[in-house]
Amino acid sequence: MSLETTFPTTPPTPPRLPPLRRLAARCMRSPLGGVVAALVIIFGVSCLLSPHFLTSFNLMIMARALAFIGLVTIGQSVLMILGELDLSVGAIGGLAGITGGMLMVQAGLDPWLSLGLCLLLGTLCGMLNGVLITRLRLHSLVLTIGMAGVYGGANLVVTKGVAITGVPGDISFLGRGVVYGVPVPFLILLACLGVVGFVMSRTPVGRYVYAIGSNPEAARMLGLRVDAIRVAAFATAGFLSALAGILMVARLGTAQPSIGDTWVLAPIAAAVIGGVATTGGLGSPVGAVLGAVIIGIIENIIVLFGISPYWQSIVSGGIVVLAISFDSLARRYIHRDA
Amino acid sequence: MKMAFLFSALLACAPLAARAADTGAPLRFVLIPKTVHPWFDKVNTGAHAAADLLARLTGRRIEIEYRAPQTADVSSQNDIIERAVATHPDGLILDLLDEKGNHATMQEAVDEKVPMTVFDSLPPEGMDVTAVGADFCEQGTIAAQRLASLIGGKGEVAIMMGVPTAPNHSLRAQCERTAFAKYPGITVVATGIDNDSIETAQKQAAAVMQAHPDLAGWVACDASGPVGIGQAIRESGRTGKVREVGLDNLNDMIQLIHDGVADSSASSRPEMQGYWAVVAAWQRALGQKTPKYIDTGIDVLTRKNI
Repeated sequence: MSLETTFPTTPPTPPRLPPLRRLAARCMRSPLGGVVAALVIIFGVSCLLSPHFLTSFNLMIMARALAFIGLVTIGQSVLMILGELDLSVGAIGGLAGITGGMLMVQAGLDPWLSLGLCLLLGTLCGMLNGVLITRLRLHSLVLTIGMAGVYGGANLVVTKGVAITGVPGDISFLGRGVVYGVPVPFLILLACLGVVGFVMSRTPVGRYVYAIGSNPEAARMLGLRVDAIRVAAFATAGFLSALAGILMVARLGTAQPSIGDTWVLAPIAAAVIGGVATTGGLGSPVGAVLGAVIIGIIENIIVLFGISPYWQSIVSGGIVVLAISFDSLARRYIHRDA
Repeated sequence: MKMAFLFSALLACAPLAARAADTGAPLRFVLIPKTVHPWFDKVNTGAHAAADLLARLTGRRIEIEYRAPQTADVSSQNDIIERAVATHPDGLILDLLDEKGNHATMQEAVDEKVPMTVFDSLPPEGMDVTAVGADFCEQGTIAAQRLASLIGGKGEVAIMMGVPTAPNHSLRAQCERTAFAKYPGITVVATGIDNDSIETAQKQAAAVMQAHPDLAGWVACDASGPVGIGQAIRESGRTGKVREVGLDNLNDMIQLIHDGVADSSASSRPEMQGYWAVVAAWQRALGQKTPKYIDTGIDVLTRKNI
């Protein structure tokens, strides 16, 4: 008696999917597939439902509004990939903007020098957050809630709540300028996204960030300088928030103490929509900015469609939930019979 | 006199309005307040009343689209103004958070040839925009002077600031201080910040009254503050001992006056501001010249007249 075992000569062919599911499967192969698909759908629906949506003026104001929140989102997404959060980014942006206004108007410093000092201040504030978190072994969420109070309070102490007016026109181009129909703040956002995206995807530092975010203890045992990378990530977030703050000053022509008040939760929501995991180790700044684009479009169409202000939160919250669910729903659709 | 002038101007526009009626298409005005707040709901009510009246008189429908920012933040308000401009309405009716911070965005509306009217705030310098509203400083001064007379010109008083970054709140506080300074027997012993929240105002007022047991009275700088102060006075059982002169005419404020917790309120007239803002916007949409400033005045609400 002989035992015969037969082996298949070719691997089994997977069942052929219907065309729509095949297209969906192809889209979802990329980590950004879900957010891009959600973006395309929201964009398409907006174009169909509002004649004002696809005008050059509306696209320009959307791009400009995206720039400020987008810059903060880039920094926040890096921190989230690292497994951290910074709730003081808005306050840092506000403090940097106010400091810029004071240096330019009250101290009479050169606007470009003031701008550089503000960016340095933002970087130092972020760095301070990072140092306190790593040295005192504090949870970033708790520490940055406190630091948001400190930076926001400093903002009120120096301004007494009054805006600083008379900001020199030299820097207004940064906030209001347009190059070939594209707002300058949006170009600055693209440049920053390019740099941070490159660092995160093509350099060892980026890989370390993902490694620390996935498992900080394992990363430490591998000899990675976990604390130094954490401090650097917080400093980057501080720098980008300060940049957003000073660009907003250039945009408004005044240094408002309220700058940054709305930059706390929106960047986190944008990052989550864009596929950044709140637990760390997953996602990308590009995805986070795409999430910010989705939020920007939602905010835009709410006004264009004339939705009552009392319904706005429900509508925007509902669309955000749909956008977040889209990735999971699409994957379930593809693998429905598997 | 101003009213008579405005009414005459309105009548003078009747032929134009009749011509406008021929075009048939409704006029669309976008009303953008500082934020979502009951005070602005009253403005919206007045705006709709004017729209209904003008529509009845001219036969041309007027639509009021109410677009309130979720937070009182200049950049958020600018975003909403820009989005509204993108829809090319026949007029924008704005309550500016900061005329300098809003200037660049308003210039975009000018460039897009969208006529603007502002209420409850002043327009940026050099911009041809009608302003409808009351004098904030006068409102604060009236409140402070009334409190001073209630407490006999002597004693400790406190001021509840609204949102410290809101120019109209700051101006009221400044004018209240100036008014109190004219009474040598009055000392401002505390200043709270309520951020236009009744709950925050209540907590702040309760704490201030704990710290200053001899406190004789309160004034406020926003619509929410005096409601929270009144609740704190009632809860501490010091009704009648701590006097309050509030601001504006929210339903809660009127109830506090009715209950005797607050003496009175120096109230601007939000419905009237909305009403006349629509009238001005309507005239601008028809290409008419409009007054530079329309003063809607201030009421002192007491138990006798509420």
